[in-house]
Amino acid sequence: MHTNPWAVRSPLLGGAERAKAMTKSLRDSVELISNPSNLDSSVDEVFSLTVGVHCRRAWEAAVPDTESVTAVVGFGGLLTGACVFRTGGTTACAICARMTGMEFPEIDDTVRDAIGEICNILAGTWKSKVPELAAHCDLSVPAVITGRDYKLHVQAPEFTIRHGFRFEDSFFEVTILCDGLQ
Amino acid sequence: MRRVPHNPEIKAPATNSLSLSQVQIAPADKDVRGNRPMREITALIVDDSAVMRKIVARSLCQAGLDSLIVLEAGNGNEGLEVLKAKSVDLILSDINMPSMDGLEFLRQIQARNLAPGVPVVMITTESSEEHVKEAIQAGARGYIRKPFTAEQVKQRVLPLLNAA
Repeated sequence: MHTNPWAVRSPLLGGAERAKAMTKSLRDSVELISNPSNLDSSVDEVFSLTVGVHCRRAWEAAVPDTESVTAVVGFGGLLTGACVFRTGGTTACAICARMTGMEFPEIDDTVRDAIGEICNILAGTWKSKVPELAAHCDLSVPAVITGRDYKLHVQAPEFTIRHGFRFEDSFFEVTILCDGLQ
Repeated sequence: MRRVPHNPEIKAPATNSLSLSQVQIAPADKDVRGNRPMREITALIVDDSAVMRKIVARSLCQAGLDSLIVLEAGNGNEGLEVLKAKSVDLILSDINMPSMDGLEFLRQIQARNLAPGVPVVMITTESSEEHVKEAIQAGARGYIRKPFTAEQVKQRVLPLLNAA
């Protein structure tokens, strides 16, 4: 993604308001914005409240090459980029099962919906950690990709934070990509 | 428009579909403390995520609204269609949605006088002071940030219903 491909429709800032907001700068807050601990605390908050599990950082594991689910929520405004959530099909079904109280033997529309919503809440929680970011960065609706043997190539000239997490036997990774910061 | 009754105890069904059958919940005749009659509440939940609509409905049940009828809509346009056809006691809406977002939905409710006096609570990932102000100006009576707990839903929603 050379530019943010997920057009952010802001219901909150449009036209003159956005132009006014754009006069602000997040450059002075870049260390706070790129602080990796913000991502860890966001994941823990979202998963404990929405999925009902506590996650721990995982360095050793990787998303399997078999069928996987990737959700992307775009950032727009003073920060452009994306929040990317990626996990294997089995973990995606397990997350959805915990969110809904139902069983999901395979990836279907409900599983894709659940993973998109998790990514959306993660993106919102992460940006809420920095007040300037919360006020002047908007979110796109989630896009969800499923399949096998695909790679997501993203340019993020400002910074990238990619962390793996584990709960029980399940693994997922969350990436914050920043391709523009004003 | 989907009319979905909800049971606070979620059990694994035989299928993985979220389209629940149209089964009317027997209205409870007592409140959560069992000491006064409890009226049936009809809530409209507007969110583009079906999973999130289900979670919100479950949270309402956990908050003590056992006698609950849930109407669902996937965006603001669908929400307006529901309100044209049904009267509701409570509206909970996301902000970021395709087709018509939550703030425009709120403005349209006001402009068309579709739900006079009905409290609207926004449930959204947007949480800055500016976002909250914008929602309140558009007519929202409450604001809950995702992720949320059932206790937060109880604290923000029940006082609005009691006051209505």
